Amino acid sequence: MTSELIYKYLSNEASEQEVQQLFDWIDASEENKKQFITLKKTWTLTAISGTISPNTASVMALKPKNNARKYFRYAAVLVVLIGLAGLAFYFNERTTASKEIVLELSDGSFEYFTQKNENNLVNSKGELIARKFSDRIIYFGKVLDKEVSYHTLTVPYGKRFKLTLSDGTFVSLNSGTTLRYPEQFGINGKRNVYLTGEAFFEVAKDKQHPFIVHSDEVDIEVLGTKFNVSAYPEDKTVSSVLVEGSIQMSEKDNPLNAVLLKPSQMAVWQNESQKIITQTVDTAVYEAWTQGELVFQNTPFSTIAKIIERTYDVEIINENTVLAKQSFTGSIKISESSVANILELLKRDTPFNYSIKQNTITITPIFHN
Amino acid sequence: MNHNTSFELDLFKSFKEGDETAFKFFYDKYFRRIQSFSVQFIYDQDEAENLAQEALLHLWQNRENVESINGIQAFLFTYAKSKCLNLIRHNKVKDKFKNDLLNHKERELDIEVLNSLQFNTLELTELERIIQESINELPPKTREVFIKKRFENKKNAEIAEEMQVTLKAVEAHMTKALKILKTKLSDYLFLIFILIYNN
Repeated sequence: MTSELIYKYLSNEASEQEVQQLFDWIDASEENKKQFITLKKTWTLTAISGTISPNTASVMALKPKNNARKYFRYAAVLVVLIGLAGLAFYFNERTTASKEIVLELSDGSFEYFTQKNENNLVNSKGELIARKFSDRIIYFGKVLDKEVSYHTLTVPYGKRFKLTLSDGTFVSLNSGTTLRYPEQFGINGKRNVYLTGEAFFEVAKDKQHPFIVHSDEVDIEVLGTKFNVSAYPEDKTVSSVLVEGSIQMSEKDNPLNAVLLKPSQMAVWQNESQKIITQTVDTAVYEAWTQGELVFQNTPFSTIAKIIERTYDVEIINENTVLAKQSFTGSIKISESSVANILELLKRDTPFNYSIKQNTITITPIFHN
Repeated sequence: MNHNTSFELDLFKSFKEGDETAFKFFYDKYFRRIQSFSVQFIYDQDEAENLAQEALLHLWQNRENVESINGIQAFLFTYAKSKCLNLIRHNKVKDKFKNDLLNHKERELDIEVLNSLQFNTLELTELERIIQESINELPPKTREVFIKKRFENKKNAEIAEEMQVTLKAVEAHMTKALKILKTKLSDYLFLIFILIYNN
């Protein structure tokens, strides 16, 4: 009863008598006054968020390109409401080495990141070169160029990782990625790293020492700051999205075949045509994974399936030709959505059946012959 | 996903350098928010607009002192808070009730609420995000009612008519929304209480 009264008062629809009633209640105890003040603060603070129109959702749901149906909310929330307890299943923790994040040191030995442990890495002289945590690693220092040695970090499907290189460059590594980089950068030379997979770089500014990301076919040279590189071996392209600063992508075997990017541009190296094309994009879509989100924008199902495979370490076999041709738009918080959640959400717009056996998901059409 | 776009950051840079067009962007963005905040304490739409106008003018004149794009909101709301407190203390806020004791009590409560609000840059950005999210996560009908009320300023009766529900239903939805938001904001509000009750 009182809550209704408070609300009426806050929205200026209470009569003088009702206000008297409310104020009497407030005066009755310190607790009551606190409650009122909290609610008025809540009400007042909503002014901070600016206008929200009833039809937009800053939280998008997955919807097929041509379907004008209502937006849903985040996959995880929707699933909870519908009660899909029956579909709950668990992926077993794999213990084989290939499922863990592995760091290979310059002497060929291996380090792992399994527990919530924190330890230091030292070089042969006993100097501190890195601090290791369960979800990231931070390097320091510089060496003479001839003494530069490399570490190789491998992140399997299902995981992501972050590292800070010894020059302060911050790198987010996506699932299924291997990065080879100097333990400590050389004092004089270029800063070279080698990538297969996907990483987001925030490169420490250093005009004297260009930072170069080498993938199999192309090199990406950085003149300063934030960009994403996607160079998965199974894709037939290498793409890079620039958020801030400027980068140049060039063909390894033919450096004259090069493109200089401006912020919000994406460069794509196409293996088949051996060309680099550029287009303007919404960088948020390509950066989202570094914040634990997957964002799709008219993304074809085949790409979505590939991303789900890497992010959750599953295999998806799609036998549904209708689904294969669909595109979807939406976003998902990785930590809050299981593969089942995502599939259920997709199903609402484009019906299909699926079955799960261990880590393999098979998608079939609704009407099977 | 609430990072400042590089577009906004560029505008902020221009704004600091004295570009009026860049300033207009921030003016448009924040005017309604400041007005909407102030009217909760001074109860007059026009006066609240004047206050918002003053706040933005003050921002323009002191643009050198704004450190970051996120500092703009903190600056504006801190100004609005001070101004509201000032107006209340100098009895310049209009009386809503015939019974003067009620007016007096209302002013007392408003002073307490205002004093308990601290507009720190980092908190504000986080708060904005939490609020956006919380509103979006409200159950659909509740969310619709809340938006019509809080952002479109419709009267309860209007909302009931538009949504084809009873007046009581509208009130129930709003009460529910407030409760949910209060819970979601409780961390922020709790911190504030600690600060206040320890002084």
